[in-house]
This record gives sequence, C-alpha cells and structure tokens, in this order.
Amino acid sequence: MDVTPSAAQSTNSRSADLPKLDYAWLNGRVDRGLAMVLRSIASRLSLWVLVGSVAVLAIAGSVLFYRVGEQILEQAHGEATALANEAGNRIEQRLARVADTAQTLASVVGSRPEGIEAILRDALERNADLSGLAAAFVPAKDNAPTSPFINRQDDGSLGWRDLRKDDNPYWDKNWFLTGLRCTQGCWQRHFYSQSRKRELVNYSAPIQRDGHTIGLINADVSLDWLGRVLKALIKPAGAYAFVLDDGGAYLAHDNPSMVGQRGQPDLLQALARHEAVRVRLAVAQNPQAGGKAVWIYLAPIEGTRWSFGLAMPEAMIYAGVRQAFVRVLLLGLLALLALAAVTLAVARRTLAPLGTLASRAEYVARGALNFELPAVRYPDEVGRLTHAFDRMRTELALHIETLTRNAKEQQRLASELDIAHQIQTALLPGQHYLDAHCENFELHALLRPARAVGGDLYSYFMLNQRRFCVMVGDVSDKGIPAALFMARTITLAKALAPKAQSPQNLLSMLNLELCRNNDSCMFVSLLCGMLDTFTGELVMASAGHEPPVLCDTDAARFIEFETGAALGLDDEAHYPTRTLRLQPGQTLLLYTDGITEATDRAERMFGAERMLDCLQRSPSRSAADLAAGLLAEVDRFTDGAGQADDITVLALNWHHALANRNAPMLDMSIKASMDEVFDALERCDAALCAHGVTPAVREDVRLVLEELMVNMVQHGHAGSTDRTIDLHMHLGEDAVLIELHHDGQPFDPLQIPMPTLTGDLADAEDVGGLGIHLVRAMASELSYSHDDQGNHLQLRFLHPVSTEPDHDVQPEH
Amino acid sequence: MTFNLNTEGESPNRITLRLHGRLDAQTFNDFDLAMLDVLPRIAEGGTVVLDLSGLDYISSAGLRSIAKIRRSTRARGGHTLLLNLQPQVRKVFDIVKAVPVNEVFASLQELDDYLDHMQRRMTGQGLPGGS
Repeated sequence: MDVTPSAAQSTNSRSADLPKLDYAWLNGRVDRGLAMVLRSIASRLSLWVLVGSVAVLAIAGSVLFYRVGEQILEQAHGEATALANEAGNRIEQRLARVADTAQTLASVVGSRPEGIEAILRDALERNADLSGLAAAFVPAKDNAPTSPFINRQDDGSLGWRDLRKDDNPYWDKNWFLTGLRCTQGCWQRHFYSQSRKRELVNYSAPIQRDGHTIGLINADVSLDWLGRVLKALIKPAGAYAFVLDDGGAYLAHDNPSMVGQRGQPDLLQALARHEAVRVRLAVAQNPQAGGKAVWIYLAPIEGTRWSFGLAMPEAMIYAGVRQAFVRVLLLGLLALLALAAVTLAVARRTLAPLGTLASRAEYVARGALNFELPAVRYPDEVGRLTHAFDRMRTELALHIETLTRNAKEQQRLASELDIAHQIQTALLPGQHYLDAHCENFELHALLRPARAVGGDLYSYFMLNQRRFCVMVGDVSDKGIPAALFMARTITLAKALAPKAQSPQNLLSMLNLELCRNNDSCMFVSLLCGMLDTFTGELVMASAGHEPPVLCDTDAARFIEFETGAALGLDDEAHYPTRTLRLQPGQTLLLYTDGITEATDRAERMFGAERMLDCLQRSPSRSAADLAAGLLAEVDRFTDGAGQADDITVLALNWHHALANRNAPMLDMSIKASMDEVFDALERCDAALCAHGVTPAVREDVRLVLEELMVNMVQHGHAGSTDRTIDLHMHLGEDAVLIELHHDGQPFDPLQIPMPTLTGDLADAEDVGGLGIHLVRAMASELSYSHDDQGNHLQLRFLHPVSTEPDHDVQPEH
Repeated sequence: MTFNLNTEGESPNRITLRLHGRLDAQTFNDFDLAMLDVLPRIAEGGTVVLDLSGLDYISSAGLRSIAKIRRSTRARGGHTLLLNLQPQVRKVFDIVKAVPVNEVFASLQELDDYLDHMQRRMTGQGLPGGS
C-alpha cells in the first residue's frame, strides 16, 4: 500500500478528522521498510534460509512426532493394561476374602448351627471389608429358629436383627431363592438397602447339611467400600477407574455420580468378551474427562462376572511427548534464527563490494568514471566482477573519448552539410512566382532532396521584359558530388541564358561548358523552356529529361518530343525544340524522376500512370495545388518507405494572354517587301507617338526596325517571294519591347562582325554591316533565336517615362 | 513626301544641297539618282555642301549614299561638307564614325569661315585639296 504525497499531506493537516489515514500511513511505512530490507540480497538470502529451514524442521518434526506418538501409544497401552490387570487382581483378592469368609461361615454353620450369631459377629468384627453378615435359613422344623443378621452401623457398632421377624418373609425374595440355587456360592446383583440407606452387593454361600441346602450365609459389602478400593489404587494422574457388573452398569466409579449408570455401547461390546481388552472412546462418558477422547483398559475380575476398567485420557498419553517436541521445536527455531543471522552477516560481508559496485555503476550512468573501487579480497565472483568493472571503466573512458571525437567530427560534417544545404537552397529561386507585371502566369516549384543536399535543380528567371526562362534538371548520382554539379549547372545556366536566348542554344552552350574537364563523367538531364509571357508561347528543349506534362482543366498528358543527350556527356550533342502555345488555365508540369521512380514498401514504382492520374483528379488547377498535391500523393504512395531520390516538381500555370491594358501597341504581320516595311515603320512611329514615346526613342526604334526589316527583305528571302514578317510591339514600364519574327533563312545579327570603322565611310568602297552595327548600338537589348519557324528577334528600347515622372522605377542608362 | 532635295547657290566650285525629310532605304535611291544629275555639274576640286538641317532621319542606306557622294567628290579633288546635323542624324554619324569631324559644321557661319580659310590657303599656296 502506498500513500500518495497529497494523502499524506491531508493526513497531517486533518489528522484529527481522519485518524484512519494514520494507520494507512503507518502501514505504508512498514511495507516500505520491508521492501527496503528485501532489496538487499543478504536479507533475502537469510530470510529464505530461515523460511526453508523452518519448513524442513516443521515437516521432519511432524513426521517424527507421528512416529514417536505411535510408539508412545503402544507403550502406554502396555503400561495401562498391566496397571488395569494389577488393579483387577487386587480387587479380586479383596472380594475373594469376602467370598472365603462367607464360604467358611457357611461350612461352619452347616456343621454346627448353635452359636451362629456369635460366629457371625466375630467374623464381621475381624473383616472390616464386610458391611454385614446374615445367616438365612429355609424355614423348616429342624432348621434354626432364627435367621440372624448382623450389620455394621455408621458409628462402627454392630447391629443385630432376626430376619424371620421382618415383615416381608425373605424366603420368597429373589436374592434368597437365587442364593439357594447357587451351590458354589456367588455374588448377587447389587441392591439398595432401605434399612441401611446404601448400595450393597452381597455374596451368598449355601449352608448345607446332609447334602441339602438349608440356608444361606449372606455377606454384604457396600459399593462405597468398592469405590474406596478403587480410589486406593495407584493410578497415573488424570486416569480414573471403575468396575462394571455383568449387566454393564457401573458398580463403582472414581466419579461417584456415575455409579448405577450403564456404560457406553462401545464399552459394553468390549465387556461382553470378558477378557483383558482396550477400547478407545472418542468422547468419554465421565464428565470429569471433559468430553475428550479416552482409552479404556478392561480387566475381568475373576470369581465374579465383573470387569475392572481403567480410563486414560488420550491427551494425557501424548502430553509428555508433545511437550518434548514443543521444546525441541523451540530450540530448533532459535537455532535457525541464529543460522539466519549468521547467514545475513556472512552474506552481507561477502556481498558488500557488490553494493559499492552498484552505486559506482550509477556513477558510470551519470558519466563519472573517476572513483574508488572496493579492494579485492578473494578471487571469487565478486573479485572478478570488481576487476571486470575496473576494466570496463577504463575501456569505457577510451570508448567515450573516441565517441566524443567522432561525434564532434559528425557534428562538424553535419553543420557543413547544413550550410551546404542553405547555400544550395539559396541557389534556387523562391518556391512561388507570380508574374508581377501582367499576372498572366504563375509558377510553383517544390524541391525536396533525399539527403541534406541533392542533385535536383530548378530555376526560373526573366530573360528580358518579355521572355521567361524556366528549367528543371536532375544530376546523376546523389549527395555532395551531385550538389556541386548542380550548383555548377544552375550557375552556368543563369549566366549563359541571356546570351543563348533560346532553349536549344542554352542547352548546347551548357553542354559544352559541362563537358569541359568532366572527368568524373557526371551528367545532368535538363528540361529548359522559354515562355513568351505575352502570348503564352513556350519553346522547350530537353537534354535527356522526363517529358513534361500538360494539364488541361480535365486531362493531363505528356508532351513527348525528341530529346538530346544529357548535358556533360557528348560535346557535339544538339537539342531539338518543341513549341507550344499555352491556353488559359493550362498548367505545364516539369518534374524529376524522383516522382515517377518513388517506390513504396513493396518496391513498386509510382510510375507515370499514377502521376497522370493524380494530376487529372486534382480538384484544383492552380500551380501550387497541383505541385503540392502530386507530392502529397507520392508521400501517400511511399507511406514512409523512405525517399530514395531527390524530388522536384515545378508547375507553370498559364492564366491568360496579355490583358488589355498590356495589349501590344502593335501586332502585325506583313509581307516581306519594302513597301510594306515602310508602311509598318510609319505605323510603329504613329503608335509610339500616340503612346507618348519621346522622338529620340522613336527615331531609334525606327532606325533599328528599318535596318532589320530591310535586311530581312533584301537578304532573308532565300528565293521565296512570300516571306512574312511578324512584328509585335509592346510598351513596358520603362522600355519599348519589340519582337520580330521572320520566316526567312537564319540570320543572327549578333553574329555579324563589327564593321571596320576608319572614321570616314568614304574610305572603303562599301562598308558592310553598318546597319547591324547601328542596330546593336541603338537597341538597349537585343536577342536572337532561331527555330523551325524562323528567326526571332527581341528588342528592347529604354525610354524615359515622361508621362509618369514619379514612377518608382527609373530607367537605367 | 518623305524626302526632298533642294539645290541652292549652285556654282561650279560650290554647290549647296538642302535635304529634307528622311533618308532611308526607301528614299536613298531617289537621292542617288538626283545626285547623278548634280555631281557632274561640279567643277574639279569643287565643294559639295550638304545642309542637313531639314533631315530628320537617316539610316544606313542614307549613310551609304552620302559616302558615295563623298567618294565621288574626293575622286575629283573636291570636298563634301556637312552642315547642321540634327540630333538623330548626328547620333547615327557618331555611331558609325561616318565622316571626319572637320567636315561637319554646326552652322552656316562656321562653314563660311572654313571655306574662306580654305580659299586663302588655296590662293596662298596654290595647292588644291588636302585637309
């Protein structure tokens, strides 16, 4: 039982109200004390030794007690039987004297009847056992006229009476008639004498004359006398004696109240055999025995049909041995207690070092290793344990030192990895991008490396006012080498992109750079796309990367197209492009194989089917929800199987083409002819003028456009007469943006060498490349790309915003 | 009308041409054709003054036309001087370093001073041409 602190507290505060709890508290103390004691091995050892010895002693004692008890009983039977026989003999002797007296008197009286009274009186005086003597004659003419009866009175004097004169004639009485028939003399049944007020029993001896029975000599003894005889017998203490007549009634008993009662049936059965016998009565008849079991030893009294009985209470028989056993047990118990104490002391002394070792072990658990160990006394188990403990401590100290060193090293590595992770994260642009200018597309990217750093990458940035570059890549291998290669790739990509201007160029240039000194043969698969943020036109090129997925409002499908070799392997690889025009609401999803090759616990791959299915089912079409939903689905699929590869998802959601307020100033398609070109130039000029563009910028624009378009008309037709030029002009916040598309032969104005300028154009016959030189000088930015649809030129002219003088962004010059 | 050419103060030694509008890929042909008429009228060593105060715009095609004129006059020991360049035109000229700086004049007065000076040198030394 345990007492909680709160209960104990309440006991203290309200002990007067709740005295019961005090006992509980006390019991708790006792239980705890016992538990404390039993926590020591020495205590438990001595306790169990004690308990075991006591058990053994108790069992052995019980068996011995049982065996010895039987012997004691046998012995007691022998002794008691002998005692009973002896006592029976003694009574028999006394009764025989009475019978002898009667026989003698009978023969005397038979031969000489005169003076009978004196003879009787004399006999009575000499034999104190007799209570009375009578000579009763059969009434006849030649018989004695009187039948004298002499009895001993209470005061000792002798009384005399003539039986003839009694009112009831004795010759009709049973005792007289029975006595006459009893020719050898016999003991009669006891009777109660009215005159003498006592129980008597008489012996009748016939008086014979001439072969005829003429009367009886009747010798009375009182039962009191018999009782006195019994009392006088030497008996063991607690035992008692009795005499039973042939009818089963007690003639005499040490307990006078029993006289006259009949014996128990068990007793009577034994009595019937009329021999020396013993019988056990479960419940003694004698009330003095207290209802306990008694052994009765019966001995027949010869000359009579009576039996003498000696009753011994059973408890009395065993009393001695029981007492002896109790003593032995007490002694044994004392000895065992002493043994337990000795065991306790020895065990304590032997195990004392163990206790010290136990507390030292707690030191070790706390990390303290400098402490005293108990001295080794004997090379026993405790000694060996102490040695082993000492060795363990030394080894442990060494081990801990090594571990600490390793842990520090690990920590350093972990912190380096952590920093590397931060740096790598910093290389990636933010997760979410919403085109702030026109809000016509939205991008959401998620990258989750399998380790602290990984080889997946994504990047996106505006190439210029209009074109947006996005890429997703996956470096072969994982971990730090991949991360370094990824850093190299992403940095190079960003540096090369403005120069490359088209995905295929960017991939080719990247490939060349990455092939350089790539002894480790690492490579990166990369999918690069450039989006026209005005129109939603997307040009993609892939270097061995997974095909992107295009999600419509209700379907998702792969955009399959030919891919080039992964970057870093083949420096002559080339990269085909695929152009796509995104429709409002469509989302393009780029990802790495971490998605499709994610495996669950059963080693099944997530696969392309599941990915398409998941994207199709996605309730929301927003970039963030698609990307996050896909990642969540992958997580559900792997179900904690562990991420084996880096995972990247990038979703690009096309909202709508340029809104009205950002509508192009001019969007036209013309035939590649001089007239139309100049017509277009006029319209451009007019549009710019209408939008408040300064004349200086307008002239620059005009010059550049004229040079470029005239060039296209004059040199780009490639023999065909129906070439077209597309011109899109858009006014940005601080710049005029122009796109020129021409379906003629490839011509990259950026690749034209700078003309030799001597300071006088007239020096040379015809200086080439003047126009392109002017273009490059006039346009703030110029980019060129070429694909299967022809040449694409993008131009940007900064212009001071005169209409919004307080605008945040100042144009740069 | 995007381009116009006027001839002023014509003499065998010196002809002044006033250009108006834009000289570009569309108009340089007309200009070239007109100049085919004008140039033969200049005497050996004569000076052609192109007054560009009315020329708003010039492109590489126009530059080439002007370069042609200058080569032609130079071949005949003459000069081509440019007068009153408008900002756009000046910018284009600067970018391609089209003409030596000393052949460009900001005003008519400057040009006259230069021509007087040339006159004196020619008279004094009897040596035509040179710069």
